[in-house]
Amino acid sequence: MTPDPGASAERTRLAWRRTGLSAAAVGLLAARPAFTPDATPPRVLLAAAAMTGWVILVRLSYLRVRGLRRGPPQPGRRTVVAYAWVTVGLAIIGGLVVTL
Amino acid sequence: MRGHPGRSPPIILHHAFPQLRPAPAGPPGEPFWTARVNNRRVIGDLRQWFDPERAERVGEPPDYRFSLANERTFLAWIRTGLALIAGGLACAQFLPPLPIAHLREGIAVLLLLLGALVALRAVDHWARTERAMRLKQDLPGSRFPAVLAIVVALGALLLVVAVLIQASR
Repeated sequence: MTPDPGASAERTRLAWRRTGLSAAAVGLLAARPAFTPDATPPRVLLAAAAMTGWVILVRLSYLRVRGLRRGPPQPGRRTVVAYAWVTVGLAIIGGLVVTL
Repeated sequence: MRGHPGRSPPIILHHAFPQLRPAPAGPPGEPFWTARVNNRRVIGDLRQWFDPERAERVGEPPDYRFSLANERTFLAWIRTGLALIAGGLACAQFLPPLPIAHLREGIAVLLLLLGALVALRAVDHWARTERAMRLKQDLPGSRFPAVLAIVVALGALLLVVAVLIQASR
C-alpha cells in the first residue's frame, strides 16, 4: 500500500462514488415516466438514454477510481472532461422528458 | 566583501531556509508564451475542454494532492449540477400544476439549464485551476457562486409568490 498523506486519494475515490450515487438519482427520475401506464415511446427511449448516460458515468468513475490506486496518483484529465459532458447530456435528456 | 564566492551564504542554507533561495528564472521566451496563453482565455479554455492533454504542455505538475483537491472541487460542483437536474425532474413530476400556466414546467426547465451550466462551468474552472497550478500562478477567481446563489434565491422567491397566490384562492 502506498502512503497517502491527508488520505487525499481515498477522499477523491469517495467523492467519485458519491457523485455516481447522485447520478443514479438523476437517471431514475428521468426513467420514471417510462414506467407509468400512459408511457409513450419517446419517454421509453428517453429513459433508455438516461440509463445509458448513468452507466457511462458509473463506468468513468470506476476507471478513475482504479487509476487513483497507483502511487502517486496522476491527475484526472479525460475522465473529468467526459464526466462533465455526460452530465450536460443528462440535463438535455431531462429537458426533453419535461417538455415532451 | 559581498559578492566574493567565499563570502556568499553556503548553499546548504538554501535547504534549511527555502526563502533564501533566489527566485527561479524561467527560460528566456517562456514568459512571453505563457502570457499569450493567458490572454487567449476563452479560446484556450474551450480547446482545453476537448483536449485536456494540452494542459500537460505548460508549466510543471503540482503536488498530486493539489490536483486531487481540484478534482474533488470539480466533483462537488458536478454533484451540485446533478442535484439541480434532479430537482428540475422532481419539480415536473411531483409538483401539482401551479396557478400560473406552465410555471411548473418553466421552473423545471430553468433548473435543468442551471444544472447544465453548473456542469460546464465546473469543467472550465477545473481546467483553469489545473493550468494555474502548473504555471504556479494565482488560482482563478470566480463570480459564478454569487450568480448561482442569486438565481436560486430568485427562484425561491418566485415559488413563494406562487404558493401565496394559490393559498389566497
